[in-house]
Amino acid sequence: MSDFRSRRLAAVRAKIAVLERDGRADSESLPFGDLAVDACLPGGGLPLGHWHELAGEGLDSETAASPAAFAALMAAPLARRGAVVWALRSDDLHAPGLVGLGFPPHRLIQVAARDEAEVLAVMEDALATAGVACVFGETEGVDLVAGRRLQLACERRGATGFVIRRKPFGGAPRGAAQGAGAATRWRVAAAPSEPAPGEFGLGPPRWRVSLERCRGGRTGAWLFEAARAYGEDLFQEGQDGTHPLRVVADLGDRELASPPLRAVG
Amino acid sequence: MLVRLDRRSVGGSEPTGPTRQPSGLTPTQPSPIEGEGLRAPFALVETVRGVRRLAAVDAAGANLGLFPGQKAADAAALAPDLAVAEAEPEQDARALDALAEWCVRFSPAVAVDPPDGLFLDVTGLAHLWGGEAALMADFRGRMEKAGLDLRLALADTPGAAWALAHFGADGTVASPGDQAGWLAPLPPAALRLDPAVAAQVERLGLRVLAQLFPLPRAPFARRFGAAALARLDQALGRAPEALCFRRPPTPWFARLAFAEPISQPEDLARVAADISAVLCARLQAAGRGARRFELAFHRLDGWAQAREVGLSRAACEPSRLARLFLPKLETVDPGFGIEAATLAAREVEPLAPRQGLLGAEAEAAAEDLAPLVDRLANRLGEDRVWTAAAFESHVPELSCARRPPLAPSTALGPGPGWDPEAPRPLRLFRRPHPIEAMAPVPDDPPVQFRWRGQLHRIRRAEGPERVAEEWWKRPIEAVGPARVRDYYRLEDQEGRRFWVFRAGLYEPGPPAKWWLHGVFG
Repeated sequence: MSDFRSRRLAAVRAKIAVLERDGRADSESLPFGDLAVDACLPGGGLPLGHWHELAGEGLDSETAASPAAFAALMAAPLARRGAVVWALRSDDLHAPGLVGLGFPPHRLIQVAARDEAEVLAVMEDALATAGVACVFGETEGVDLVAGRRLQLACERRGATGFVIRRKPFGGAPRGAAQGAGAATRWRVAAAPSEPAPGEFGLGPPRWRVSLERCRGGRTGAWLFEAARAYGEDLFQEGQDGTHPLRVVADLGDRELASPPLRAVG
Repeated sequence: MLVRLDRRSVGGSEPTGPTRQPSGLTPTQPSPIEGEGLRAPFALVETVRGVRRLAAVDAAGANLGLFPGQKAADAAALAPDLAVAEAEPEQDARALDALAEWCVRFSPAVAVDPPDGLFLDVTGLAHLWGGEAALMADFRGRMEKAGLDLRLALADTPGAAWALAHFGADGTVASPGDQAGWLAPLPPAALRLDPAVAAQVERLGLRVLAQLFPLPRAPFARRFGAAALARLDQALGRAPEALCFRRPPTPWFARLAFAEPISQPEDLARVAADISAVLCARLQAAGRGARRFELAFHRLDGWAQAREVGLSRAACEPSRLARLFLPKLETVDPGFGIEAATLAAREVEPLAPRQGLLGAEAEAAAEDLAPLVDRLANRLGEDRVWTAAAFESHVPELSCARRPPLAPSTALGPGPGWDPEAPRPLRLFRRPHPIEAMAPVPDDPPVQFRWRGQLHRIRRAEGPERVAEEWWKRPIEAVGPARVRDYYRLEDQEGRRFWVFRAGLYEPGPPAKWWLHGVFG
């Protein structure tokens, strides 16, 4: 009897979940491979078929190097599935830098747009094209209408979009981030690196990342590291299973109900 | 001059007279002094070695005994009511080029014959007008409407066409293969000989070409030069002559003429779609696709406007072409109306449909990406869409070259050829930024530096990586050890990573210059 009831409850829950998602099929997600992070995200990983927003602070609001590196590494497994389009306003993206981090650039198409509106138009056009796995765009801000259009373009082919907020050098600050309908919103800052014991110089790059907003999930803050950057085993086939990003420490406050997870760095 | 595939050329030349206006195709300017039914003589004057001479005279002036090369003072004495204007040869050349562009409405292969002639190759086009006579009549009518006097001739070879246009009756149509008969009554100058050679031929009593034809060839060449013999052969069709066409003639050419001139943007868009359909049908039937399409609109007043579209992969889909042309049509100025449109396809390649393999995802993705890349490239410009390719250079800013996105890559293996172990920044500034750095001597990385007013204290550093100049590119005397860059990878207290270099070797005395070249992620 209770078995029948629980089954019926599960069916009703599934129906409600489908209604909540406006009838779309369950979207894929890209797991980070770490329980702490995947628990915060809906579906157990970065939701594909949506667009995400990344921002930096301080110097990164103008150079946007850390958000771009983090976004590229988050999407590195996607880059093997299809083409990647990167829409820029200033053409200072250096492809050998991406290679060193672990992002395969031989399917990367870079587009230099002339202004903000054109960056968004290029992103929309690329997201709606079959054969494109993910699209990056560097722009100052995305308002509600543009955000909705990006979401619709993502849903047409299931591509993933990443908006990296960047203001031109010497530009006036545009104000607080507007909530524009991104599936997740991240804030990325560089963190001091630790070299392996016995080595000197710089260690693998690290970032202090906080997930500020997540639709259907929880917020959190972590310290990520690109463990395999600048190494010789970067593109070996055996490493394809693991995510290029590795959680070093958990920085944020979590819900009290969840069991405390700590990734040993 | 109209030329057909089986070698028929038509020559048209404007008379060497000032009736052709130097500034474009405006109608003939009437002479300032208009006599009763008689036009006053008009001449163009130029300065040759300090002396004012006539460059060209019109028919009325020629009747009075004026000739080009005569001194302007003598001409004024002979014809007191002579009206003169300055000769402007560059404007004339430009006007002739514009006329050649307009003549593309008759044939895609137009060659300019300076200073005042045009060759048109009308192979296979006569049927569009219903015969060669109709074609010549249409051509003459339109030219005269534009206010140009001209002499036309149609023949099998460019040489024969030139001769008939300049020295034969106006409007001759030489029957195919019978150049000798048509050329016989013409003087030797009709062969485009050197003036000295022509004078020599005349002096020897050979006044008409009929006397030249039966002469034996070897003595002819010895006496008058091999060039003269070549010209004779070219006129008679025994030797080929290459014309320098304005654009390389392409057989993939479609033309649409309208009964009434159009000027509305919707009509232009529809015309683009229709003419794309016509040409693409031909291309598809032949199993070919093209990478460049040029659509030209020919206006009523003699100007032509061309718009070009490039594709990253050869294709022959009319809907895609029409969509790519659409944004370019907005800048077309129809003027009084457009009466014909032509579409030419270049870089034509065979396009066999290939059987898709199951699981050939890379091929399928490239086919899908081509429309996206074309849209972006045609909208933003071809230099704004690229893929990074490795270039063999140890200088960082030169190591990354751009190539068109869908060009087949020559790299083997997953990486594009950059060394993943040499750390390179994610953002490389186009011009390194100068910074003020403090470094203990002699080869140590800086302990702090100031960039854009902000001080960064360095916690960790790596380096130096020495990048020297490309000494093989400069003369050996100018090469020295001082043009080096020592790159350091620095991390400041907050964790930001920079790529900084010191220009030149460290020397005691003047402080070394430090630059920031890039920022790591």
